[in-house]
Amino acid sequence: MSAPRVALFVTCLVDLIRPRIGFAALRALEAAGCEVIVPYAQTCCGQPALNSGDRATAADLARRNIAMLDGYDQVVVPSGSCGATIRAHYPEILADDPEWLPRAEELAGRTWEILAYLDEVRGWRPDTALDATAVYHDSCSGLRELGVKRQPRRLLAGVEGLTLKPLDGEETCCGFGGTFCVKYPAISDAITTEKAAAIEASEADLLLAGDLGCLMNMAGKLHRRGARTRAFHTIELLAGMGDGPAIGEEA
Amino acid sequence: MSARDAILGKLGPARPIADLTAQADALIGHAERPLLDGDTIDLFLAQLDQPSIAATHDAVDTLGDLPAAVTRYLDANVGARALYLPPDPQLLDLDWQSVTTLHSCPVDDGAVLAIARAGVAETGSLIFETAPVAPMLPNFLALHHLVVLHRAHVVRWLEDALLPAGPQPRAHYWVTGVSGTTDIEGQYVRGAHGPRFLHVILVG
Amino acid sequence: MSFAERVDAALHDPLLKTAIDRATGTAQAKRAAAIAAFPSFEPARRRAAAIKDHVIANLGAYLAAFEANAQAAGAAVHWARTADEACAIVIDICKKADAKRVARSKSMLGEEIGLPHALEAADITRVETDLAEHIIQLAHERPSHIIWPALHKTREQVADLFRASHRSPQNEDTIPAMAASARRQLREDMLSADVGISGANFLIADTGAVCTVTNEGNAELSLVPPRVHIVTAGIEKVVPSMRHATHLLRLLARSATGAALTQYTTFYAGPRRPGDREGPEEMHIVLVDNGRTRMRDEGLAEMLRCIRCGACMNHCVVFRQIGGHAYGGTYPGPMGAVLTPALDGLAGAKDLPNACTLNGKCREVCPVDIPLPTLLRGWREKSWREGLEPVTMRRGLGLWAWAAKRPALYRLGTRVAIAALRRFGRRGWIARLPLASGWTDGRDFPRPEAGSFMARYRKGER
Repeated sequence: MSAPRVALFVTCLVDLIRPRIGFAALRALEAAGCEVIVPYAQTCCGQPALNSGDRATAADLARRNIAMLDGYDQVVVPSGSCGATIRAHYPEILADDPEWLPRAEELAGRTWEILAYLDEVRGWRPDTALDATAVYHDSCSGLRELGVKRQPRRLLAGVEGLTLKPLDGEETCCGFGGTFCVKYPAISDAITTEKAAAIEASEADLLLAGDLGCLMNMAGKLHRRGARTRAFHTIELLAGMGDGPAIGEEA
Repeated sequence: MSARDAILGKLGPARPIADLTAQADALIGHAERPLLDGDTIDLFLAQLDQPSIAATHDAVDTLGDLPAAVTRYLDANVGARALYLPPDPQLLDLDWQSVTTLHSCPVDDGAVLAIARAGVAETGSLIFETAPVAPMLPNFLALHHLVVLHRAHVVRWLEDALLPAGPQPRAHYWVTGVSGTTDIEGQYVRGAHGPRFLHVILVG
Repeated sequence: MSFAERVDAALHDPLLKTAIDRATGTAQAKRAAAIAAFPSFEPARRRAAAIKDHVIANLGAYLAAFEANAQAAGAAVHWARTADEACAIVIDICKKADAKRVARSKSMLGEEIGLPHALEAADITRVETDLAEHIIQLAHERPSHIIWPALHKTREQVADLFRASHRSPQNEDTIPAMAASARRQLREDMLSADVGISGANFLIADTGAVCTVTNEGNAELSLVPPRVHIVTAGIEKVVPSMRHATHLLRLLARSATGAALTQYTTFYAGPRRPGDREGPEEMHIVLVDNGRTRMRDEGLAEMLRCIRCGACMNHCVVFRQIGGHAYGGTYPGPMGAVLTPALDGLAGAKDLPNACTLNGKCREVCPVDIPLPTLLRGWREKSWREGLEPVTMRRGLGLWAWAAKRPALYRLGTRVAIAALRRFGRRGWIARLPLASGWTDGRDFPRPEAGSFMARYRKGER
């Protein structure tokens, strides 16, 4: 069987803040036998517009991305919320557009959150080791819109030396919420404070999740509180990059 | 235009209800239910023991044994051998020599007796209906609510205890435990407005 | 007070937070246990949604059937387009009955239509008989939760209220003693009321019966002794039959408190019958629209599934920080954030759909599977279309969107942003960011790596 041609949609946040996640995704996908292409025209999935109520802009960006991502066997996204925007929301946004709706649905059918893709589609297991304890936060969009729950845990079970500990409220929102955290910072901060306290109480070395937005929020709070927990995107560990700098650490 | 016509007008032309019945029936056929494993009577009694229901229970062979069982309960829990009986010949015809039967219901204490039409194992509910011989108010006013329930009338599911459509009693009500509240600081208190004690006497 | 001011007040009230955590924490744990004992809960709630959708699609037919059967049982049925009409009907019935005192059994619809205020304005003494509503009435406040309206009151506050107003208040300030004091006080009030007013949890179309559920037994004590029983019910409360009601009842209490059923589930069909020694001489049912037909037509039909269990707010991270009063409407939490703009207007309530992380937990726990995040997004879209969002927000998003459609320009923008952000940071973290102080007031911001992913990938980095 020939290698699937996979488009990697790195997401605007990874592109801007933490390219390591993009490189980790690249590495893991190639290890899983994919031919990975990074479409140059990619920018953002349009989620900020969608969640702000600017449906026209969200639809514009959706059409643009549908055209750009045409022809690949699969589209893989290292983010549950951006993946859900393409997979769950593009067809909603374009529901009244008879020309684009079928294309949106076609793209939705071959778009995957990266951890679900590696586990469910590729049946891949990592070949790496890291001696540490970790907790896993289930980011909301991945969990509830894409059903990402057991996949990361199955993949992480393959990292030798890594022990996954339970996290109290692991399915509870961290308070990020995209534009929510800047529009209602005080509420967001209160929610994040509780999340950080739960993470600290776990006494784990590492905080893992599948969404950079949530990770920045939680890691930023943990750092402000002086906690020692280090935060990584799950794909970094799976790609053998867990020995590198965590979020907020200089290379 | 009347408010009725305006609202129904906004809702559009109504299909005859007879046309909807099949669709409505299909929606409720084989509805999901909670887990329920074991003997119906055992399950019913186990439900009565749940903290949220907090009912005690006793059993007698025949209705004729009821006054003795009631007296036992009153002696142990109420102190006074007094009881309000609804004007139901099934109860009035029993031998109540050992108990003072009251003609009006105590308003904030004392005990009442009532016959339940059914008991439900699924929930521990007691099902009652109003009738001239079965007023409902006493069952909410007294502190101790004593309930007669024929063993044969304990059913497994709530559906088994439903009345068919058509003319209904003025009120029917499911009692699932003692009155309770958690309205002050979440602390559970029994006997908020209704009975604080519920005692079921199975007959048969 | 604005939403921001109400939120600020709530976030600075440690007693409130303790109270919310206690109530919602218990509710979450008990609901989880109840659902564990009901493994088919997921298909059950989808069935519940389908039942409600069927009714809402055929609402006219079911309301007409309910009306005919309720009338056959001897009840009078009234219809009200608006809150004001509904209140006027209730007041008129009270006046015709020469009512001095009404006993009210907790009803969110009553709150929604402003019935407490209308009764006061008509000089009719109102007695709230649900313990929490009684506390709220004494405190002259509004409910802060649809299941536990007084969850924000401490035992000390309740003790003071009771001592100041009860005829024979508690001797000691324990919670059981206070509950007993309310029992004494309200019992007399209920038994001497001229009219009892309730809401309806369900209207049974094929029997014409009205269903109420309570744990305290106050509904029955409020509705049986008075001469007149008035029901105010939203038109969406109708269900085809007792079997449909039973299915929804199985989900309602489990979702609200984790119980299999509430302590008292009562179905009222008409007034006193010949030979009855008790029961009201008249029963009136007021069917209230108050925006529901409009919601049905304007994209909020799914919201009419709501059975008012409170699970969405018990599980909402935002509600659990700010409590119910911050929402500023009759209904708080996620369901309130959808309903309040529909009932009170979007302009004054536009914060509600926005103050949400769209995490989807509310939909996950909803016993009738209301797509609350989708409906909240719908309000955001309307708010955007109507220009209610702040200009800075619109301009910022517009600029970003413009660039996002032009990859070369977008790359340039990314380069500039990274360079700018990196100047604020030291050793990996940025402690203060102008324009994003909302973030950095409470948390640090990770300093971007040098060079965007796309730039480095293009240079051949792997």
